[in-house]
Amino acid sequence: MIQDMLQSSPGLGNFVIFFILGLVLLLIVLGFVTFSILAERKVMGYIQLRHGPNQVGGRWGLLQTVADVLKLLLKEDIIPKLADRPLFILAPIIAFAPSFMVLATIPFTENFQFADLNVGLLYYVAISGMTVFGVLLGGWASNNKYSLLGGARATAQMISYEIPLVMSVLGVILLSGSLNLNEIVEAQKNGWFILLQPIGFIVFFIASVAELSRTPFDLPESESELVAGYHTEYTGFRWAFFMLAEYVYLFAMSALITVLFLGGWMAPFGFLDFIPGSVWFSIKFFFVLFVYLWLRSTFPRMRADKLMEFAWKVLLPIALGNIFLTALIKSLFF
Amino acid sequence: MLGLAKGLKYTLKQLSREKVTYDYPNEPLPLPDRFRGIQKFYPEKCIVCNQCMNICPTECINLTGKKHPDPTKKGKIIDTYDINFEICILCDLCTEVCPTEAIVMTNNFELAEYSRDMLFKNLEYLDENDENVRQVNKP
Amino acid sequence: MIRTEEMILNVGPQHPSTHGVFRLVVKLDGEIITEATPVIGYLHRGTEKIAENLQYTQIIPYTDRMDYLSAMTNNYVICHAVETMMGIQVPERAEYLRVIAMELGRIASHLVWWGTYLLDLGATSPFIYAFREREMIINMLNELSGARLTFNYMRVGGVKWDAPDGWIEKVKDFVPYMREQLKGYHNLVTGNEIFLNRVKGIGKYTKEEAIQYSLSGVNLRCTGVKWDLRKDEPYSIYDRFEFNVPTRETGDAWARYQCRLEEIEESLKILEQACEQFPAEGDIMAKVPKIIKPPKGEAFVRIESPRGEIGCYIYSDGKKEPYRLKFRRPSFYNLQILPKLLVGENIANMIAILGAIDIVLGEVDG
Repeated sequence: MIQDMLQSSPGLGNFVIFFILGLVLLLIVLGFVTFSILAERKVMGYIQLRHGPNQVGGRWGLLQTVADVLKLLLKEDIIPKLADRPLFILAPIIAFAPSFMVLATIPFTENFQFADLNVGLLYYVAISGMTVFGVLLGGWASNNKYSLLGGARATAQMISYEIPLVMSVLGVILLSGSLNLNEIVEAQKNGWFILLQPIGFIVFFIASVAELSRTPFDLPESESELVAGYHTEYTGFRWAFFMLAEYVYLFAMSALITVLFLGGWMAPFGFLDFIPGSVWFSIKFFFVLFVYLWLRSTFPRMRADKLMEFAWKVLLPIALGNIFLTALIKSLFF
Repeated sequence: MLGLAKGLKYTLKQLSREKVTYDYPNEPLPLPDRFRGIQKFYPEKCIVCNQCMNICPTECINLTGKKHPDPTKKGKIIDTYDINFEICILCDLCTEVCPTEAIVMTNNFELAEYSRDMLFKNLEYLDENDENVRQVNKP
Repeated sequence: MIRTEEMILNVGPQHPSTHGVFRLVVKLDGEIITEATPVIGYLHRGTEKIAENLQYTQIIPYTDRMDYLSAMTNNYVICHAVETMMGIQVPERAEYLRVIAMELGRIASHLVWWGTYLLDLGATSPFIYAFREREMIINMLNELSGARLTFNYMRVGGVKWDAPDGWIEKVKDFVPYMREQLKGYHNLVTGNEIFLNRVKGIGKYTKEEAIQYSLSGVNLRCTGVKWDLRKDEPYSIYDRFEFNVPTRETGDAWARYQCRLEEIEESLKILEQACEQFPAEGDIMAKVPKIIKPPKGEAFVRIESPRGEIGCYIYSDGKKEPYRLKFRRPSFYNLQILPKLLVGENIANMIAILGAIDIVLGEVDG
């Protein structure tokens, strides 16, 4: 349906339809973010022998995040006197917009995808790289020393880890012969890339944790060192936008891992095909999500200098070696 | 890598373990008998010996006595008795020195108020504070 | 042309990792510290001056509030000082109760350190696990003394309460449970490569420096000096128990971490033996006059608190109040080495080094 519409001539009617579709996706994503925050708090709570939220919205605390968001929207919006006002206002938007844009290209099921781009993967990586501007600007514009340090750390970390992230996924591209995410899923019909590309997967996963700046790579925020890192001075809905960006990326990254390495919407075995693709996608997706939460509640934080060392001296050589190995295997066996 | 895996295994195991948090405001905390909470004061037992006032390390107890209304009896009875819970540290020394056990501890500890003035507790309040009174007061 | 300038960063007094109201003014070159100045005194309450107007029994609740993580040792040091001056012989049963309470306090204090240190390093879960065990200890001490932190349990000449029925059994049951949990702690954190990367080789100092800076407790033992007052100057009844003094040679944060966790095990050993030897009956209070008036003179005692040597100096002129009372507060002395350790480190290490020293601000500021 969307393919037909993309090829139809531009007009006001089409614009309205696309706008509404975008709005619907935004609402779905916001709904997901609401519950992924709840899931994070619940999972961490259970690991930490607590119950997690259980007051607002029944005993599972289903409305807790909604209440939190309402609170954030009602809060006073503080802009520090000596902050760089235009940049301070702009930063959360720059940080959030790309996180939502990358969702367009992810194929959730065979039919449910917004833009079937031929360079889907490249688009994802390129657009997600923009968020770092928002973070850096936010850190700079706040005119706060902690924010500045956090912003600088975030920039260094995200730029360094983007390289192993892309390099590790090159193996997948070599094997599937395409940058189109749909075709990458199709190429996994006979075996998921997690089995064919175990090294690539591990490197990609580690780099993705760093990209999302979650524990053990949560240096940009590093609560116990930099108070709150780049968003120390942000309050209310501006702060909410930074948080939203973070969780939308969590959503996007989990989806991307599912697509790239876990076979997307496809069933693991042929005889399980009767279960719809959306169910398979969600199962895999939630598993990846759980692993992220699990890591977060187990590990301490890495140190900034070791973090950079790890990216450049460990992950990058491994990723490059993986490309070489994959190319060798591809030319010999396929 | 082994250390990381061990840690992951440990946290995964905790998922199904018994929770340790209490449902506090809905269920009262179980407290031992010896717990030191807001004092209960028995005006009829007090002999106005001033020992509690003197032993108090933060000087938060203020009391005044008056002559016994019955002229045939000697001694004083209590007139006013105030504890300033802004500075009371619930150290138990007042109950320790009281010869008649006129002031004893209870298990009530919820002292939050909207105003500092409310933390001055007078004789009536301390007299009415008669729930969860400590059973054994002298070692 | 790139122009760089040093940045002065105020860490604290409101900061998640300064463990209270400690302020650190650091000069930063990028993220590297070139100079660090600790600023203390935000929690100063003048305990020593207040004590000059108080009777000895009244001072005991104030000592609870110095090192509020192990109030039992503070209770003990003041009682011990007065008992030394007056030559009071404390009954056996009271001594055992004191030792059990103090060792439980030591475990609780080290557990808080373990949890908060890992929290400083960015791991959130260990904090809750440590507090689960600490909560059990606190509940036991609550049953014994009637308060969860500020016990006010010991008195000159003994202790206030006898052990309630079945309390000793509870402590006995706690020992194997805690040993089991310690294994879990080691699984969760001790082998973790990220953690090792962060603590190995940071905040290093030598044996000589440690002695010059008058460090004590684990901060001294991590350099290889085997000095524990429970062994070397036995007070109370510590000479009746078999336990080791854990030491390490390296003198870095990792050594301190190991020493503290091993100390928990040694404390468990002491608890086990104390519960076994616990006398079935006996007095818990010696004969002491109602108003305590130590003879004219002075006394200094020192004992091993979880943080180091805590000392108490009393000068009495024969009145019921001390003429001068002075506490040697280990956290205060241990903190002195911090500016030296921080130069040349980055911010992440600053937190790790400060955390490893294990200060309690109530004690630092007095």
